[in-house]
Amino acid sequence: MKPTIYAKNLHRHYGKTRALDGVDMNIPAGRIVGLIGPNGAGKTTALKAILGLTNFEGELEVLGLDPSKNRDDLMQDVCFIADVAVLPRWARVWQIIDLTEKLHPRFSRKICMKYLSKTKIQQKSKVRALSKGMIVQLHLALVMAIDAKLLVLDEPTLGLDILFRKQFYSNLLNEYFDQQRTILITTHQVEEVEHILTDLIFIKDGKLIVNSSMDEIHDRYSEVMVSPESLEQARSMNPIHERVLFGRHIMLFDQAGREELELIGEIHKPSVADLFVALMGDKEAQEERVEGAA
Amino acid sequence: MNTNSLSRLWIMMRREVWESPFSFKWTPVIVVGFILLFTILALIIGARVDNEMVFTKDGIRQFAEMAVEQRSLLLYGVTISISAIFTQVMFVVVVFYLAGCLYDDRRDRSILFWKSLPISDTMTVASKILTAIVLAPLVYLAGTILIQILIMLIATCYSFLAGVNPFTTFWGPSNLPSMWLLLLFGGLVQGLWLLPLYAWILFCSSWAPRLPILIAVLVPVLIGIFQQFWSFFSDFRFSTENIMLTILERIGRGVVPATIEWDQITDGSERLTRPAEEMFMSYGSVVDSLFSLQMWIGIAIGIVFIVASIWFRKRATDS
Repeated sequence: MKPTIYAKNLHRHYGKTRALDGVDMNIPAGRIVGLIGPNGAGKTTALKAILGLTNFEGELEVLGLDPSKNRDDLMQDVCFIADVAVLPRWARVWQIIDLTEKLHPRFSRKICMKYLSKTKIQQKSKVRALSKGMIVQLHLALVMAIDAKLLVLDEPTLGLDILFRKQFYSNLLNEYFDQQRTILITTHQVEEVEHILTDLIFIKDGKLIVNSSMDEIHDRYSEVMVSPESLEQARSMNPIHERVLFGRHIMLFDQAGREELELIGEIHKPSVADLFVALMGDKEAQEERVEGAA
Repeated sequence: MNTNSLSRLWIMMRREVWESPFSFKWTPVIVVGFILLFTILALIIGARVDNEMVFTKDGIRQFAEMAVEQRSLLLYGVTISISAIFTQVMFVVVVFYLAGCLYDDRRDRSILFWKSLPISDTMTVASKILTAIVLAPLVYLAGTILIQILIMLIATCYSFLAGVNPFTTFWGPSNLPSMWLLLLFGGLVQGLWLLPLYAWILFCSSWAPRLPILIAVLVPVLIGIFQQFWSFFSDFRFSTENIMLTILERIGRGVVPATIEWDQITDGSERLTRPAEEMFMSYGSVVDSLFSLQMWIGIAIGIVFIVASIWFRKRATDS
């Protein structure tokens, strides 16, 4: 079966800045992929390339189509929620539903109404009059009523309170996701998505730093809360990151033997956030922090 | 184009009306209201001045006794002038509509929603330009028809007052239905006539980083000024050819339901047109205009700008 997203040596330059610098991706169906990176790392550019909203150099196929040429065909199978502001503010709810129904062959009004009936959104309301959370609920109801193969979410829960955020992801996971679909998420709120991700991509300065499944990540990286007496021994094992928490040194190891690690302290699964800091953070700033704490 | 594309195009054009209800719904209603208000005010003042309405009744009776051709001409003149008000208001509305149509959604980022729908950029741009040259004339023609009927109804009341037959006096000679057909045909042809200007504004809207309306107006004005300076400093005289004159002439011909001899006006010659039937829009004049060289040069320019707008729309995102 063809991959949902296939990219090879993807490049995009804005003047001298390289937003994408040789990106390779191969995402099969049935995955939930987190595309994580600091601001300006190229996340949005990557998403825009996938959605046919920007030009690029290199090879890119989404569901077998070239997004820069076949955006309108591609959008029959791809849905997209950017951060909350993008529903037209002048429109009324029923107008947006009407439009989507007439323009989207895979849209089901029935399903959309089912989701909307669980919210407080009125058909007659203007989008302008809805709260941020309600706009996201409306957009999610529209998208979940479309039988698409790829859903792209760009900071979908930005600026929402925790209740909305939790509900958003639980709806997505329980009612929408299945093995035929792929979800690609970018977000800064890594903690909230990490338990639903099947794959993780870290992007920095237009390059992919990590691109593997969560299982591989948990096999490869281990976090150890080092016992004080083993500190020197642990440091000699070349941890890729070290931080201090309540006087305990916590180190992250890349491909270290489990037996050796058990000797120097307690092993944990590293969280995506810690991994992010370790792999993407500024090296010098880290060292300063550790020295300051020690 | 199959029925599916047509129905999609139709919902896209309805979308434009939803987005700009003021331009395509309320403005024609307001114009109808204003004309009605002024007509009624004039009649009230007339009734106050004219005691017992003697002169009014007499006037109507005299009108009823005129030759039918003359009555037709007068009624035609009045009713078709009303349509001119609508066409001119529509022109202003459409100019502002087009300046915003490919710009507003880039500014408020809703372009990301529109681009998430399976609609080609060609279809999007087509829906905007068709709204300008087909939908707007239809809506404003509806307004014209409404106010014409209302005024004829008022005339009918007065004719009862004066004791003349309203059907032979007013309705018959006014020939309204045939005028409506003519206005429909003429309005669509005038839309084509204005296509190069409309497409230019659409084009500005498709790429302008801000203030597309200002860019759309300023560029031809600056070119016009430059042309004048150039010919003044190179030949020591002002040029007779100027882009601004060309544009103004095109606007002028595009917004009046008449075949005014524009050369005479722009020459400043004294032989201005007198009120006569050939002055008003007719099938002959509309067909002449449709098959004129100027029309097709304009359409060609329009198509170039539309294609360029589609090119920019393809590349447009929220930033």
